[in-house]
Amino acid sequence: MIKFLFNARPFRLGLAAVSSLSLLGAITATAQAQSRNKVVNVYSGRHYNTDKELYAQFTRQTGIKVNLIEGKDDAMIERLRREGANSPADVLVTVDAARLIRAQELNLFRPINSAALKRDVPANLRDPNGHWFALTRRARPVMVNPAQVNPSLIRTYGDLTRAELKGKLCMRDRSSVYSQSLTADVLQRAGKATTERWLKGMVANVKQPFFTSDTTMVRAVGQGDCGATVANTYYLARLLTSDNATDKANARKVKVVWVDPTHVNVTGGGVTRTSGNPEGARRLLEFLSSPTAGEGYAGANNEYPVKGWGNNPTLQSFGTFKATPVTIQQLGQRNREAVQLMQQGGWK
Amino acid sequence: MESTALAAPQPTGVSPAAGQGRSGLILAALGIGLLALLPLLALFWDALFAAQTSPLGLGLDGAAQIRGTLLLVGGEGVLGALLGTGIGWLTAVCRFPGRRLLRIAQLVPMAFPAYLLAASLIDWGSHRALRIHGLGWAIALLTLANYSYVFLLTTESFSAGGRRLVEASLSLGLGPWTSFFRVALPVALPAIGAGVALSAMEVVNELGAVRLLGVPSLSAGILDRWQVDGDPQGAALLSLVALAIVGVMIALERQLRGRSQRWNLESDNERPFSWPLHGWRAALAQLVTALPPLMAVAIPALWINEGWPALRAEPLGELARLTSRSLTLALGATVLTCCGALLLAIIRRWSPQPLIRQLSFVAGLGYAVPGSVLGVGLLIIGGPLLMSPLLLLFWGYSDRFMAVSKQGLDAALERVPPTMDETASSLGHSWLAVVRLIHVPLLRGPLLMGGLLVFVDVVKELPLTLALRPFNFDTLAVRVFQYASDERVEAAMAPALLIMVLGLVASIALIPSLERRSGS
Repeated sequence: MIKFLFNARPFRLGLAAVSSLSLLGAITATAQAQSRNKVVNVYSGRHYNTDKELYAQFTRQTGIKVNLIEGKDDAMIERLRREGANSPADVLVTVDAARLIRAQELNLFRPINSAALKRDVPANLRDPNGHWFALTRRARPVMVNPAQVNPSLIRTYGDLTRAELKGKLCMRDRSSVYSQSLTADVLQRAGKATTERWLKGMVANVKQPFFTSDTTMVRAVGQGDCGATVANTYYLARLLTSDNATDKANARKVKVVWVDPTHVNVTGGGVTRTSGNPEGARRLLEFLSSPTAGEGYAGANNEYPVKGWGNNPTLQSFGTFKATPVTIQQLGQRNREAVQLMQQGGWK
Repeated sequence: MESTALAAPQPTGVSPAAGQGRSGLILAALGIGLLALLPLLALFWDALFAAQTSPLGLGLDGAAQIRGTLLLVGGEGVLGALLGTGIGWLTAVCRFPGRRLLRIAQLVPMAFPAYLLAASLIDWGSHRALRIHGLGWAIALLTLANYSYVFLLTTESFSAGGRRLVEASLSLGLGPWTSFFRVALPVALPAIGAGVALSAMEVVNELGAVRLLGVPSLSAGILDRWQVDGDPQGAALLSLVALAIVGVMIALERQLRGRSQRWNLESDNERPFSWPLHGWRAALAQLVTALPPLMAVAIPALWINEGWPALRAEPLGELARLTSRSLTLALGATVLTCCGALLLAIIRRWSPQPLIRQLSFVAGLGYAVPGSVLGVGLLIIGGPLLMSPLLLLFWGYSDRFMAVSKQGLDAALERVPPTMDETASSLGHSWLAVVRLIHVPLLRGPLLMGGLLVFVDVVKELPLTLALRPFNFDTLAVRVFQYASDERVEAAMAPALLIMVLGLVASIALIPSLERRSGS
């Protein structure tokens, strides 16, 4: 049998593969066995190359190495939950308010008391008990093509129901957390009955089908295929600074309309309940929310820092806005009800 | 026609190596079956005992999601069967200018993951105010991405029996069309069934492409119910519907196979005869066989042309690291899965115990569960046990893709007369010797093909890798996802291109086998 195994090419190949795998496994194991207080393990729902540069900067400053797994937010939460007490993760970073709240409800975060975090993150953007902290802000204003829709028609999200927008309004689909969070914002401020009316009127204006990505939606507004939409500013900023000349020219035709108030969602993070290095994890969060690194974290994706407007010239060209008074906690707690209302209102 | 179309004998209970270490074989098969089943059992256990958070039901979108998946499976199944079988027949048995090249070209679409085709086509269209959206586009793209399963299995079947089929047709005075429908098609039914079942499972599981195209699907429903709504019972209910669809596909395939069971073996040394096609017939054959691979190449090519300036964004060293990780994972998973599949196929052929034979079916069920849900199942087991993420990942890959390598083997084993096993064992050979001396040489083609399919699948695989990988261990597919999910499709181009290159290289490895089969 042994002779046969070694004579067969696929098996030899397999042997080589398995050996290299063991080597890889050994390397990984070594990496994980490094002294625990010199390593912070991060599960993150964000995926930007510049994030890695920031983590490297943190390592240079503190001597603490950052190990990283970037994946889908929901899958990262699920992994953390299933790993339970054995989880190697120290920090969980997710995008979207509802996910932060879900992670908190699943008891995945531990409360931390940090004067620096309290100072750098405004109260409405963090958990009162210190379970999680926002690290960047994502604004979702209305965007119009002035050749199609008069921007002065729209002052609030409520104006999306106006008859002038019939067949000209393009929206993101219901499964998008951006749409869900926007509806939760409206629901918290206006109540159920008004939200139901708003949803009905707005959906009646939507040029079907709903979009599955913000980029193609903003592009369609620039092309005049859609007259108005609601999208995160960083998608427009990205198109405006794109290497693609057509995209750039198109994006210039799109005007940001700062409705009052504008819906804001966040990227946020917290220290995991099972963290083996909570001290290092706290220091990483403090670093990421500090004014300098925080701007870098936000700037990676043309997002707004948690305080002020940052120094991104593209974002500055959009002007400033009045952010929603709804807290991240409220956005998260209203998410499920919002999704139900959206479904009943015909939001596909 | 020395060994063609023997009357269908009972495959059950053919146990040539009784008593000679067979208990070891059974134990190994039991082990594989158990490993395959464990994550699924863990999921259902979890669903049964999790705190009831909402009334048991299909959820807000359950009905639409079931309908969406059924339409996708039906549409892709019919189109994929037509395309795969047609092209399989044309390139295996007919002769026309460019046939060899076009046969090899059918491997090209396999290298392109459906989510990548969808993302690039949507992006390309959006630059031209063209909305690529909805069920029609989803069926078209999924057919393009998956018809190769049917092609590979049918062309293998047509080639293996090609010469005798054509001889039979000639002796009956049939032309190419009639011979296709009256002789070749019935013989190839198991392979067609296996191919369609495989592609149907792929469709049931497809997540990225259908989400991007805005089609409600079970795979998205299961994932959302589980992870977003925190409702494992609801997710398990939807999983059962998905399993039922796959179960029907497998039963259908078995039914077809049962009806057309015959042993049909051909020596590799014999040079098959083929039908010559001329004039418009040859032109039509060229068009039909060239169009799908051309389209599969054209979609990413147009997209790459659009976003060329961003292509150099990723540092070369990083790309090399991503590629080596993808390659290592795919090679390891391929070897593991092929060995397991061979064992299961053999035990299915030999064991008189219906229960043991069913193991082969059970071990294939992992293919029917969305990768991200299977990932949860593995985490339920591996999390508390502190299992290495890489180990869990290989477990997941083997569970997920066992069916891929097994389907072809099962279909191919049915062309090997059981008398060969019996003869060998009556000469005193052990089961391992029978496998080594008879099955491995005869099944080299299907084994290679199965291995290739698994390899390409693992390179393209996303949800398991994303959910289970260790720290600082991104692969090509993971990087593509990271860019694409941030809607920076242009930046995803370089790793996407490498996935396609790996897929193509793997496909090229199959050419000698295809060539030998076609006797060109």
